[in-house]
Amino acid sequence: MADAFRQEWGRITAALIHQTGDWDLAEECAQDAFAQALRRWPRDGVPNRPGAWLMTVARNAAIDRLRRSSTYRAKVEELAVMATRETGTDSREPDGDDGAVPDERLRLIFTCCHPALAMEARVALTLRTLTGLSTAEIARAFLVPEATMAKRLVRAKHKIANARIPYRVPPADALPERMPGVLAVLYLVFNEGYSASAGENLIRRDLCDQAVALAQVLAELLPGEPEPKGLLALMLFQRSRQTARVNDRGDLVTLEDQDRARWDQVQIGLARRHLEEALAARRPGQYQIQAAIAGCHAAAATAQATDWPMIARLYQHLADVTGSPVVELNRAVAVAMSDGPAAGLALLRRLEADGALAGCYLLPATRADLLRRLGRNEEAASAYEEAAALAGNGPERRFLNARLAEVRSRPT
Amino acid sequence: MRYMLIHAADPELASKWDDEAQASFTSWLEETIRSGVNLQGSRLRPTADATTVKIRDGELIITDGPFAETKEQVAGYDVLECASMDEAVRWAGRHPSSWAGAIEVRALPERAPAEPLPEPGEGKIQYLMLVCTDPAVDAREFDRIEPVDPWVADTDGRGIRLYGSELEPPGSARTVRVRDSRAIVTDGPFAETKEQIAGFDVLECADLDEAIEVARRHPMARLGVLEVRPFWPFEED
Repeated sequence: MADAFRQEWGRITAALIHQTGDWDLAEECAQDAFAQALRRWPRDGVPNRPGAWLMTVARNAAIDRLRRSSTYRAKVEELAVMATRETGTDSREPDGDDGAVPDERLRLIFTCCHPALAMEARVALTLRTLTGLSTAEIARAFLVPEATMAKRLVRAKHKIANARIPYRVPPADALPERMPGVLAVLYLVFNEGYSASAGENLIRRDLCDQAVALAQVLAELLPGEPEPKGLLALMLFQRSRQTARVNDRGDLVTLEDQDRARWDQVQIGLARRHLEEALAARRPGQYQIQAAIAGCHAAAATAQATDWPMIARLYQHLADVTGSPVVELNRAVAVAMSDGPAAGLALLRRLEADGALAGCYLLPATRADLLRRLGRNEEAASAYEEAAALAGNGPERRFLNARLAEVRSRPT
Repeated sequence: MRYMLIHAADPELASKWDDEAQASFTSWLEETIRSGVNLQGSRLRPTADATTVKIRDGELIITDGPFAETKEQVAGYDVLECASMDEAVRWAGRHPSSWAGAIEVRALPERAPAEPLPEPGEGKIQYLMLVCTDPAVDAREFDRIEPVDPWVADTDGRGIRLYGSELEPPGSARTVRVRDSRAIVTDGPFAETKEQIAGFDVLECADLDEAIEVARRHPMARLGVLEVRPFWPFEED
């Protein structure tokens, strides 16, 4: 049932929005269909084609609601025609056989992730319409009051209608410009879930799975595009380490110290397959490169056996593509691993002089780690202090304080 | 001479727009239209429905929201045909927008046409595109700005641009606020932000994507920002 939900919810809302132009109606009817399934499937058994069954019930619910408001006569007729064509009969009973329903989810994804919507609105709308998470669940997942989330969703739907954001997949020539915005939404959802600690609510951790499912849909519906496959591979590589990256007390465990036996090899295998498919298109992009880096880690039996020179090269490539200072920071770490901490520190100094990461805890945290490796414990301690002060209250701070205690206890 | 009235609503004074204000507005509209003063104008959807477009380092940047975060928010506009700035200011003082916020009066250059707006075409939507400056851009860059004429010719030819004009510099603007039945007229624009409105165009498009495509090709996309705001027809609430 949960699987059907995740798979079919988005398909149903996408089709109904396409046919009626009414986002609220689409959500309500999808809700109706799933509620009926919950009542009837346990009693009557699961139909042969659950998706088609749900779609038929949802469409009938839409016709019912629209019939009650006379202004929508044209839409009712259109829906009724589609129902007849697909089921071969105007039967009000879902018979579970309604032919191929066109998959409109791609339109829905691109509309929800339209750049004229604020990022937080894109995220909320994508989750609500494509995964069927309730407004309350999305609010819990993003740690905001339900009323705030409800307002965000209403405002986004109003803007789509009032500013007339089109419900369509952008034309091929606009795809390169629009794709990164969509991928960024999915990766943001993934990272929200990935950074949730074990103590946090389940719905928050579940965001990882929602993001993977959405990336899967995008990769399937755009088979010619390598970046969605790259993103999917990246997510799977990262998720394969999810249980190993936190210890029993909820503290972060660095990649270096993780128990690699706990990495999920099934997901790693899947990730590898998606990455290979993506790379075959020979159109590299930031997610493919990040996935390749994650793949290098996944291939190493121990931290020492990691192909650091390769990772450093990939980060260089990634820095060229993104121009991001955080990428440059990661490159410094990789160079430190391959050529020694001193080489990494030299790169860090350049980054510090540049000032782009001022106020970000990652910069002093990385410097602290390299100094620790060089045995420069006093300097390392003050860098850890600096980092901990910037790190907020999460597990990152606990980790930094643990390291701080460690270098302080060492003889100088 | 033609003058643009930029209506800026103050959310804190929203209650001032009561039945009496609505009646004043209707008679203002009737009078300005009958006397031939009012060339065109429209209410605009709220800032929540605004989209801002700019190009920096060759990259298109689209953001949700208006060109500047101000207390008073652009809520509509009119273009009036008046003998002088003083006459335009008098009309502004009689419009209820000036007691539920402010009205900025800006002169249009002499060459601005005096044309009414056509009704929206079947299936089309009209937007006001505000052409705004960006204080982050070095003023010297403007010496190298591309001419706007090719953009105007192209969008006019495709039936997308219905009207538009530059505005005389904000320094020559006057802003009218009526408080306790007294008109307070100040020099300069309604918002003391560094971002200022330099011109406007009325666009008729199939959807927002088309409006964004049109906006990004405007020469000011590289040096300023373009706010695209849907018209809000009176029959819709």
